[in-house]
Amino acid sequence: MSKENKLGRRDFIRAAAAVAAGGGAWMVSHPNEQAFGWQLDPRKCQQCGRCATSCVLSPSAVKCVHAFEMCGYCDLCGGYLQPGAKAQDSGAENELCPVAALKRTYVEAPFYQYTINADLCIGCGKCVKGCNAFGNGSLQLQVKQELCVHCNDCSIARDCPAQAYQRVPIAKAYMLKTLEKGSEPTK
Amino acid sequence: MQQEPTKGISGRLPARLWAVLTVAVVALVVVIATTEKRTEPGASYKLDLKPFTKVDDKDVAFRQTARFALNLDDPSALAVADSGTVYVAGKDAVLLLDAEGHETARHAVKGTPDAMAVAPDGRILLGMRNHVELLDATGKLLAAWKDLGERGYITSIAANADNVFVADAGNRVVMRYDYGGNVLNEMGQRDLKREFEGFVVPSPYFDAAFDQSGELWIVNPGRHGLENHRPTGELVSSWYKPGMDLYSFCGCCNPTHIAFRSDGSVVTAEKGINRVKVYAPDNTLIGVVATPDDLHAPSDENDSHSPVKDLAVDKKDRILILVGPMKAILVYEPKTPGDRKP
Repeated sequence: MSKENKLGRRDFIRAAAAVAAGGGAWMVSHPNEQAFGWQLDPRKCQQCGRCATSCVLSPSAVKCVHAFEMCGYCDLCGGYLQPGAKAQDSGAENELCPVAALKRTYVEAPFYQYTINADLCIGCGKCVKGCNAFGNGSLQLQVKQELCVHCNDCSIARDCPAQAYQRVPIAKAYMLKTLEKGSEPTK
Repeated sequence: MQQEPTKGISGRLPARLWAVLTVAVVALVVVIATTEKRTEPGASYKLDLKPFTKVDDKDVAFRQTARFALNLDDPSALAVADSGTVYVAGKDAVLLLDAEGHETARHAVKGTPDAMAVAPDGRILLGMRNHVELLDATGKLLAAWKDLGERGYITSIAANADNVFVADAGNRVVMRYDYGGNVLNEMGQRDLKREFEGFVVPSPYFDAAFDQSGELWIVNPGRHGLENHRPTGELVSSWYKPGMDLYSFCGCCNPTHIAFRSDGSVVTAEKGINRVKVYAPDNTLIGVVATPDDLHAPSDENDSHSPVKDLAVDKKDRILILVGPMKAILVYEPKTPGDRKP
């Protein structure tokens, strides 16, 4: 090899720094592309309440999420009202949620919109069970990725009786049931 | 000089101490294995629907007298013709059964009908998601009517000699057709002057049926009751019973299906608390036909779909319940005094 073609120490360091900087820039522009996190499949979930009590966080990283396109905007909402509630209103004695995280807003007779205050929600799934049993199943539990601390051995997954927890790519971390073609509710 | 062999730790500790240590370690493992379980979430974190599904035997007024097993996938709709023949629709087929449940004929169809009715002259009407298909009595396709749009979702058809009433859950209307497929009128528009807010249909359960005198009854599921409408759409009368008790219709949207007996009583099916009941013409509960246990559908399953796919009453006034997961029709008749437990 001639002397001119020989790579000097400084050239080598410059090239290595360029490669490192390029790689860093690519990683910044493709965040967590290969990273995986925990998510629960709402099709398997039994609403046992363990998502609220088994998470290492308090309150849990699991929250109720509302798929509005599936909601019937019902007045007598099985996810909002206690079974056998004396009145269909927002009285605390009528609400099913133990922490009043589900809010009811009048739209027009006889329709109401239901939204979740994620700061209050503890992920117990009571509303999810009521909605599944009596409604369309639009209220669903999901692990909020921005809250989850991504334990290697998820303590909820360990306790889940339905084995609904699985590892999913962070980039596609949510598994909501929707009204996509082919997944529409049937009679 | 001979060197004394080095004693290991096992040699230095007495055997008894070893035994005690072993027992202690085993005990520790057992204690950890049996106690390292999290406590069950408290009652305030769980919704228990079982108390609402219990039915007292004194409230059960009917008994199952037969079960027709179906050689059909995805059974989805049921109808009884004036001749007494029982029609069952499912995936790619319509079956014809005699009164004993024996298959007498089978018509091939394309797809799974969501609703079905049989005209007095034997023609078959199928609700194929957003349009109606008309078949002759031999199962030959005569016509496919104009569809009800992208939102159309036909969940029930009621047909008499002149009119075909099609309940469209997607658009929350009942369409009245003639047999040529022409729309005569649309029922269900909000009319606040008459205090009629339209049909409230939160989920794809929206049924219509004729009573014993030919009057058209339409379920208003979000109102938890039944409405009697004139063919032109005017509301004649209604009754609603929202609630969780046995005498009422539970959940967001019930009843899911209705059928009328010859004495004017109405058979209703509910989802959420999966049960079938009969109400007298004065809206009082006569009794339960099928309990959640009879339908093998406890209400704590993660399923918002009803196991009861359709209801009908046959020419012997028996109640026919089409149960999808069972692939069967359950046949019920009134209990006799001897059937009732003391």
